[in-house]
Amino acid sequence: MASSSGNDDDLTIPRAAINKMIKETLPNVRVANDARELVVNCCTEFIHLISSEANEICNRSEKKTISPEHVINALESLGFASYITEVKDVLQECKTVALKRRKASSRLENLGIPEEELLRQQQELFAKARQQQAELAQQEWMQMQQAAQQAQMAAASASAAQQAGSSQDEDEEDDI
Amino acid sequence: MKMSQNNSDKDSHASGNKNISLPISRVRLIMKSSPDVSSINQDALFLTTKATELFVQYLALSSFNNGSGKDTNTLSYSDLANAAEETETFHFLTDILPKKILARDYLKSLEQMQEEEADI
Repeated sequence: MASSSGNDDDLTIPRAAINKMIKETLPNVRVANDARELVVNCCTEFIHLISSEANEICNRSEKKTISPEHVINALESLGFASYITEVKDVLQECKTVALKRRKASSRLENLGIPEEELLRQQQELFAKARQQQAELAQQEWMQMQQAAQQAQMAAASASAAQQAGSSQDEDEEDDI
Repeated sequence: MKMSQNNSDKDSHASGNKNISLPISRVRLIMKSSPDVSSINQDALFLTTKATELFVQYLALSSFNNGSGKDTNTLSYSDLANAAEETETFHFLTDILPKKILARDYLKSLEQMQEEEADI
């Protein structure tokens, strides 16, 4: 609904997120549809309220980016000081989570082997593989040669035996 | 081959965090649609998002507790409207109560009224 219009003012928090929060805050309470719609719009108003106030505080401090300090001061001046402790806690939690993730990813990178070393290892493996292949090929070749030689010898002795047999026959014929 | 953490990564990390349920990217969009707001520090965004969550919780709770629907276990539009009027910190909400009339609808009804007057 909000996203189809190009108008910035129609930007709202998704209804589903609001419904979920209402359900968690007021379990088992029936909430009218127009009341839910109103909560969605109140959310947007609240965000605008905090942003404008924080922005003003930011401008007065001559900084360009709205900082957490500015938001906290805005909450205080608008009467939401009671929220401050809890939002600060969440910020700490978010930072801890982000820090853990960064540590995890850098630990992984440190275990990793640098690229040149990897390349060198790869070349070594290739060379080894080529050598093994060459040796294997040579072995096969030698085996084939041996087999061929044996076959030749066998064929030769077989034909020799045949010739010897046939010449004997001729001699016998001559005698008659 | 560094793993870059761009903004959307951080958004999903924080939303995946059990402490924040609202979508942070949407909150940023709404903040930026405020006039004059330029850049917002990521931590400031987390704070605003969490504050908005707390606001929803407080609004719902106090509207219900002070409202007429407690016996019937319901929360109505008027409960919210009353809370906005009675609680000082919620006064800023009176701008959006009652329901917004779109400008063009208002102009249309204005035109109609003028036509009716012209006919008389």
